[in-house]
Amino acid sequence: MKKEKLFLSEYEHKELFRKRIYRFLPVLSILLLLCLWLLASSNPMSRFPSPAGVWERYLKILEKPIKDLGLLGHIWASLKRVFIALAFAWTLGISFGILIGWNKKANAIFGPIFTAFRAVPPLAWVPLVTMWFGIGEFPKVLIVFVGALMPVVVNTQAGISNVQREYLDIGTIFHANGRQMLFEIAIPSALDAIFAGIRNSTSAGWMVVLAAEMLGGKSGVGFLIVRGMDSGDYELCLLSMICIGVVGYLLAIVIQLLERIICPWTTKKSN
Amino acid sequence: MNHSEQTVRRLTDKERIAKVQSEKRRTAYQLTMLSIVGILAFLLIWQLAVYSGLLSSRYVPMPSDVIRLLFEKWSDPNPDGAVLGVHILSSLQVALTGFFLAIIIGVPLGLLMGWFKGFDSFMRPIFEILRPIPPVSWIPITIIWLGLGLQAKAFIVFFSAFVPCVINAYTGIRQTSEILINVGKICGASNFTIFRKIGIPSAMTMIFAGIRVALGNAWATLVAAEMLAANAGLGYMIQQGRSFARPDIIILGIVIIGTLGVIFTWILERVEGKVLGWKK
Repeated sequence: MKKEKLFLSEYEHKELFRKRIYRFLPVLSILLLLCLWLLASSNPMSRFPSPAGVWERYLKILEKPIKDLGLLGHIWASLKRVFIALAFAWTLGISFGILIGWNKKANAIFGPIFTAFRAVPPLAWVPLVTMWFGIGEFPKVLIVFVGALMPVVVNTQAGISNVQREYLDIGTIFHANGRQMLFEIAIPSALDAIFAGIRNSTSAGWMVVLAAEMLGGKSGVGFLIVRGMDSGDYELCLLSMICIGVVGYLLAIVIQLLERIICPWTTKKSN
Repeated sequence: MNHSEQTVRRLTDKERIAKVQSEKRRTAYQLTMLSIVGILAFLLIWQLAVYSGLLSSRYVPMPSDVIRLLFEKWSDPNPDGAVLGVHILSSLQVALTGFFLAIIIGVPLGLLMGWFKGFDSFMRPIFEILRPIPPVSWIPITIIWLGLGLQAKAFIVFFSAFVPCVINAYTGIRQTSEILINVGKICGASNFTIFRKIGIPSAMTMIFAGIRVALGNAWATLVAAEMLAANAGLGYMIQQGRSFARPDIIILGIVIIGTLGVIFTWILERVEGKVLGWKK
């Protein structure tokens, strides 16, 4: 076998060597994380679940569903709440954001009230909402809705009220009427801000649904975590945490794809 | 034609400026009045709706009741076992511990990850694995680790504030202008000097944006943590208000949580203005 040998300067040799190490480091760090996990679980006092235990718990939940729902069933129960809430939050949030971003008077009237509501973390509404509506499906969707609404409104408002002055001036020069100014100039140029709001609201919604389920629910991943905590089944806790992480990650990817399809011109900016 | 001089006379510059300014002042004044009217109308409608029986006072307290409770609660520990001051102090302690730890650890970590490639390729996978797990879901695991005390709650708050600190410091230092770095190199600065004197100052704006997000996250997560596992604090207070069916306590708690959040944001803006004054 004949190998061509390139002449490399000392600097290039160093660079090549460094690149090899960099490729190797991520593997090392993940191994380190696994080792830490094993170390934490090997101590019998800590009751911290081991990787093998979590895997066994996963196999067990496939056979023996909790409350008539398998793992996927619980994930779907949570996702369904998020999707319903997001649909309402997006339609209402974008329209309200456009209203207070575009119309100064509307902003003066509703802005302060909205700011006051925004200052309250969505989860603080949980006690009040459970008091009013019990612990059914509606109150959970409502809380997720509140949590997802805020980022959409804030970003939409910022996007609409920060439209570049020149764009609007050009509209004025061409005798655009108010409706055209809004729909053909302001909204398209604010789309990337609106999408940033949509992205934030999705991750916020996923976090809030979890907490809402932890505070009282009979299905969903948040319920699984609390169930694991109450029955001392910490493998279940960790298993649901992993599922939550994976689903959250997938949601983020889906939204990113959606953004690339709907407004491809924004991807350049965000990178 | 001899038009009358007065009607066609142009405004002098001074007059025009004065006119525009007075118009601006008038619209600003109008908008402020509208804001005040909006808030007052909201409170009034709320009060009247409860007063007239449209909303049952068992479920919705009147704003006037909430204000009265605000004064009573400073000295009256019933029904949730602590006066308002104790709840606020306990919440502040947890939130600020977690928040400052997140800044102290998160910002340098993000900066180092953004600057040194080797460190980045080592830390990045760990960070990316842990990041998508929402802080609230750490609660059960932290309770096994650290028990029910301050540490567990502070850890959860820490985790929620930590992620935005790292991400923003990372992207901030990544955006350091290539030109400035090259200038540093030409002047013979070492990599570390460039990092310290050019990289960090130019990442400052992003870092502060991250800290602002972190503050919001920390405060929101604190409420969740206290609702799930605590025996004092504002989150605990509203949860108890629910158990005792006292909507006025819940609303009071919500209002205080919101107000404190606003005060923190305001303080942070002040600090940012002081630290980043040279940038503007």
